[in-house]
Amino acid sequence: MGVTVGIDAGSRSIKVVVLDRGSGHVIAHGIDDQGTDQADRVRRLCDRVLGECGTGHGTVRRTVATGYARHIVEGADARVTEITCHARGVHHGAPDAKAIIEIGGQDSKIMWLGPDGTVHDFRMNDRCAAGTGRFLEMVSDRMAVPLHGLGALAARSRHPSTISSMCVVFAESEIIGLLACGAPREDIVAGVQAAIAARVAGMAGRMRDGPVIFTGGVALVGGMAAALSAAIGTPVEVAPEPQMTGALGAALIAAD
Amino acid sequence: MAIPRSLSLEDWDARYDALRRDGMGEPWYGGPLRRHLEAGGDTRLGALRFDDSPAALRLWNFLLTEEDRLREARAAGHKLVGAMKDLGTVPVLASAFPELTTFYVDGAWWIPCLMGTAIGALREADRLGVCDSFCPVRALLGAFVTGEHFPIPDLLVCSAGATCDDLSAVAQRVEGLGHPVFWWEMPHRRRADRGEPSATLPGGGIAPAEQVALVRDELGRVMGALCDLAGHRPESDALGGAIAQANRVRRTLGHLRTLAYTSPLCPMPALEMLICEMLAIHFCSDRGECIEVLADMIAEVESRVAEGVGVLGEAAVRVFWVNPVADLRVMNLLEICGGRLCGTEFLFSHALDAIPEDVEPMEALARTALADPMVGTCGERAERISRDLTRFGAEALVISRVPGASHCAFEGELVGREVAARCGVPVLEIEVPSFDDAVEPALRTRLEALIETARVKRKCAGEPRRTRWA
Repeated sequence: MGVTVGIDAGSRSIKVVVLDRGSGHVIAHGIDDQGTDQADRVRRLCDRVLGECGTGHGTVRRTVATGYARHIVEGADARVTEITCHARGVHHGAPDAKAIIEIGGQDSKIMWLGPDGTVHDFRMNDRCAAGTGRFLEMVSDRMAVPLHGLGALAARSRHPSTISSMCVVFAESEIIGLLACGAPREDIVAGVQAAIAARVAGMAGRMRDGPVIFTGGVALVGGMAAALSAAIGTPVEVAPEPQMTGALGAALIAAD
Repeated sequence: MAIPRSLSLEDWDARYDALRRDGMGEPWYGGPLRRHLEAGGDTRLGALRFDDSPAALRLWNFLLTEEDRLREARAAGHKLVGAMKDLGTVPVLASAFPELTTFYVDGAWWIPCLMGTAIGALREADRLGVCDSFCPVRALLGAFVTGEHFPIPDLLVCSAGATCDDLSAVAQRVEGLGHPVFWWEMPHRRRADRGEPSATLPGGGIAPAEQVALVRDELGRVMGALCDLAGHRPESDALGGAIAQANRVRRTLGHLRTLAYTSPLCPMPALEMLICEMLAIHFCSDRGECIEVLADMIAEVESRVAEGVGVLGEAAVRVFWVNPVADLRVMNLLEICGGRLCGTEFLFSHALDAIPEDVEPMEALARTALADPMVGTCGERAERISRDLTRFGAEALVISRVPGASHCAFEGELVGREVAARCGVPVLEIEVPSFDDAVEPALRTRLEALIETARVKRKCAGEPRRTRWA
């Protein structure tokens, strides 16, 4: 039966999922940082992942590329936006999902799904990186705390700082000011998480229908799902391996 | 009939030579497209894809020779009237005077669209403190300083009030530079109270009679300024004749839009359709030639429709577009992403409707001005967009914003929600800066996502299950 491959060439990382066409199961996946030599990195990651699962390029029946850099992925049979791919990936694991919040390195998106899991409507952030992973990266650099440590730090906050959700550059200036005033780091990080959530909630409006599934790399950051749940007024569930959802959706679309 | 092709500027060189060899005739402003780039400046033409028809070539040449036309008019002794935020009225009023030529000074916002940053106009605007947080119409200010883009008009007319506040601000700076502006007031259109006398507007809207009277009086003042400039009053039936000729342009354009937007196969690219629609507000200062240019476009479209050929495949998603773009490449991008233009609302839909010919001319022009979408509510604008979107069978809506253009900063969200609720189509709101190459991948993702979503809806309407992706 062979395999299908989904490649999500995102703004911060490349994700690859290999799917067995017969069983429909994921048999391998991998992730690597995005760089300036994007096409090369995609090729190397595909080689590695296909090698790890003991299959070669000859067994690949179809490849679908998605993500910010999908148009430079060589050898893809089709290129589909991450909006459609995340919807497909989420519907595979959570067929009753009504909406998806996806926050990646450079974009944030809301997708509303129809009963068959197709995208009914969507919204994306405007050009500013406020409300995206880039915002958290900036905070991580400023606070000298790794991204995966931000959640634990924010959880200690008792009085989250109020930070602008309009502009990352403004927000960075505000953070410098808060640090100069002696604001606790945990309050600043919690404030940033609330600002990102507020930005996304502004796009989403009030969501009454769940389940709402959270995907994208930012879903791995502790505290973000809770901040989003509070902002949109509906429980938000983090997808399993949320950073891989787009690549999974691409592999599923390749198998359709 | 040959299948129409999309041409780059380089492709057009060879195409032009072939057409000339085959005996193509051209008006005085004809010639190869490349000369506009080499003559100084329309550098962004090099990044566009064009329709390959002689009619499209004539359209582009007509648009890009406006400055030559104005200089010739002045050399011939015509007085030049610069219309700003005229709401489709001043060129009609001025054309009642044979010695006046009107042009659309607002059109200077297009200068960066064609010339990019390599022009003095934006540098001069920056120097005067009108930076890129303003609408690209700020190029107008620089154009007055450098004097390089159009002759300085003998009379400048601009409306203020419920129109574009960025333009009003820029026009005030122009006045501050020593170019007097004749201001007239445009009220925000309100609904008539119960029992209050009202008038029907072109396009089907309604406004209180007292607002129509106010605008009529204001236009009367504009007419007075035009009389002073010309040195006489117009002939008794001149204004009625001017309205009739403006309506010929509008009817011609309306016919072209209906043909292009309702045809099963897309017969004319989005970019050329946008240029055609722009002619509705100012005619490139020559209404007679404007009608000829549009008639050529109609003949081309009719012939393509009759032959069943198009510029895009049948699968192209029918997209309704709201607001003009500051980067013309985006109209090409829509088609690259799998969409086709099926209906537009470029903020001057009032200039597409016929001016009433069964009422007194000044009353007719006042009603036309009050029909402007910018002077009414978002809800009324959304209502018209919904009606046109349904009429043209569009499957998706794009609302485009120009950075700094404050008249559409919040309106997009409201219009999008309203149209989505009324028509059930996916809506995309995008911001298109004048020149920012880095934004292309993000715009492309958004447009492709919209097209994918509309295609799934189209398929789901006939097939409940997911089908294979192409």
